[in-house]
Amino acid sequence: MSLLRVYCTTVFVKKGLFLESTYTACQRTAGYASGGVAKDKAPLKKAKTPQGRFDTDEIESKSKDVSERFLDDVNPETKEKGGPRGPEPTRYGDWERKGRCIDF
Amino acid sequence: MAAVCAASRVLGRKIVSSTALPAVCQTSNRKLHFSIYGKRGDAKVSDAISTQYPVVDHEFDAVVVGAGGAGLRAAFGLSEAGFNTACVTKLFPTRSHTVAAQGGINAALGNMEEDDWRWHFYDTVKGSDWLGDQDAIHYMTEQAPAAVVELENFGMPFSRTEEGRIYQRAFGGQSLKFGKGGQAHRCCCVADRTGHSLLHTLYGRSLRYDTSYFVEYFALDLLMEDGECKGVIALCMEDGSIHRFRAKNTVIATGGYGRTFFSCTSAHTSTGDGNAMVTRAGLPCQDLEFVQFHPTGIYGAGCLITEGCRGEGGILINSEGERFMERYAPNAKDLASRDVVSRSMTIEIREGRGVGPDKDHVYLQLHHLPPQQLAAHLPGISETAMIFAGVDVTKEPIPVLPTVHYNMGGIPTNYKGQVITHKDGEDMVVPGLYACGEAGCASVHGANRLGANSLLDLVVFGRACALTIAEINTPGEKLSPLKPNAGEASVANLDKIRFADGSTRTSEIRLNMQKTMQSHAAVFRTGDVLKEGCDKMDSVYKSLDDIKTFDRGIVWNTDLVETLELQNLMLNAVQTIVGAEARKESRGAHAREDFKDRVDEYDYTKPLQGQVKKPLEQHWRKHTLSYVDPKTGKVTLEYRPVIDNSLNAEDCAAIPPAIRSY
Repeated sequence: MSLLRVYCTTVFVKKGLFLESTYTACQRTAGYASGGVAKDKAPLKKAKTPQGRFDTDEIESKSKDVSERFLDDVNPETKEKGGPRGPEPTRYGDWERKGRCIDF
Repeated sequence: MAAVCAASRVLGRKIVSSTALPAVCQTSNRKLHFSIYGKRGDAKVSDAISTQYPVVDHEFDAVVVGAGGAGLRAAFGLSEAGFNTACVTKLFPTRSHTVAAQGGINAALGNMEEDDWRWHFYDTVKGSDWLGDQDAIHYMTEQAPAAVVELENFGMPFSRTEEGRIYQRAFGGQSLKFGKGGQAHRCCCVADRTGHSLLHTLYGRSLRYDTSYFVEYFALDLLMEDGECKGVIALCMEDGSIHRFRAKNTVIATGGYGRTFFSCTSAHTSTGDGNAMVTRAGLPCQDLEFVQFHPTGIYGAGCLITEGCRGEGGILINSEGERFMERYAPNAKDLASRDVVSRSMTIEIREGRGVGPDKDHVYLQLHHLPPQQLAAHLPGISETAMIFAGVDVTKEPIPVLPTVHYNMGGIPTNYKGQVITHKDGEDMVVPGLYACGEAGCASVHGANRLGANSLLDLVVFGRACALTIAEINTPGEKLSPLKPNAGEASVANLDKIRFADGSTRTSEIRLNMQKTMQSHAAVFRTGDVLKEGCDKMDSVYKSLDDIKTFDRGIVWNTDLVETLELQNLMLNAVQTIVGAEARKESRGAHAREDFKDRVDEYDYTKPLQGQVKKPLEQHWRKHTLSYVDPKTGKVTLEYRPVIDNSLNAEDCAAIPPAIRSY
């Protein structure tokens, strides 16, 4: 691992790039490459919305989400296979998805 | 770790030497503009334009500018016909704005009920408010079923009925039996991402042919000589080199120019580059004043909120908390038609009752509705409002304002895709130049575009350009000579902007232009508002001379590219507003408060008998052709009559104009 650090820093010093970012990048890659998963860190989860404003649990909202697939991808009322998920997009006269108007 | 490092070094060396490669890698003949052995050798570098900017010259049979739906279809249509084609695009093909077109594509396949493309023809002509050229509409609607079947054969996964045919739904003002047979089901879709799927299908298909892609090359100008288009000059953004693509045929498919307005649904890259290139070449643009608006677009983000929100009980509020739609449409209130709602919102904002720090938008309130009703009927809206507006829709209102969605106008073409000018009362083809997609104006959308027709427009006219070129030319034809310093003016402009040292930044001038267009050339159009807007736009155009850029480099100079895009946007903006000011009538998407009616050659509200036909100068059922002098920003307008006959009168009778009412 130390060899890698030396290699990286010497190479990049020669090329004149910033040291710090590549140094830490090397450290990070070195950690993964050494075979161990970073068990002590919490799993990285990308926050979708500003914290605190969306109080519902993410898993709960996903199950009620409009992007829930139909059984076998067939819409039970219209028997359309491979169609848009959720309620009929054209029910209000424009093409609606998740409250957004896509086409009109 | 050292072992991994050493291994990668060895592996790297192995890739370069071809002997160790398995055979399958070596047979790849897809031509990209780079290769691991360096740039392709057949391009010549010269100092013909300037010693500071060495130019790389390429020769092709055809060049396509833009790689969205229309551009890709044209590019591989040409490659399929055997032409050596280059596709010059400033974005990677699958990043073009076509990917955001999630609605469907119309075609009279007749899978849900008895259908006829002539009824689709009637609906499109009526939707265009009789400003569409009926021969082009005939061509598009007749080719529509074949085009959709062709896409399906390319692998586009349309949704299916139980029998396995393409599922079609009701959408977008489509009717049966010339408007008398009720709603038609013509819209085909791919789950909720038709445009995305279309673009990926076309891109995948195009890789079968050996089109040369020049990705992240910003097209600067057309190379015109003696009124003929001989190619394109472009800037390679990756390394800052200038490239001249000489070709007998140039197809422009650069998309629309939504970014001239403050609020639009278009990507930041929709800057009307093709329209501007054509304008700088001294050719006209057609019907640029026809811009399609939607009343409720989220402020800042530009995404549209569905009309279903108002249908479910949502109301529009001004700064005084008043439900202002009651004053403008006492019966329909918030459920009035889109143009009435847009105009009412704009009037409220103009009269000072807008909300926010700049008082430039209004609120759409949904929190008075029970949350369960919202979640049941409009699932996903709380997520949309949170992501794009940052509001909790059950507690706060959503900031909205009228938003630009589509540009009906563009480069004038005939139904075959050839660019035309109008001289001495006749349409004349510009040799070597073609246009398709949103950038072209064939004109199928006329004064108003119907939903789900624009994706159809892309594929049909993309293919039409390829077919026309294949019909007129043969692959491998010798190119006519071009002056060695062709494109000099474009490079001089590039150099001037790269070292510009005025006092206003690009972003400031762009914001000024966008705010001016939003307040003066948007939905609410009256004579004095438009006139004021024209004068303001004139001064904003002049402020381009005082621009300041910061990045002096040439490699990936986004400051330079944004400024070039701003120049392009500015040319589109002045033509839009001056054209709107001159057109003294209301037709389709161009609605004026002071001239509320359509002005046609006859008064179609009364019987035609006994009426005298007005000459072209006295009515407005004509296309606007606008020219700009790029140095001063002065716009000149000319007009051209609408083509009222279909391609084949026995096959499909032309529709005589009538009053449009739905």
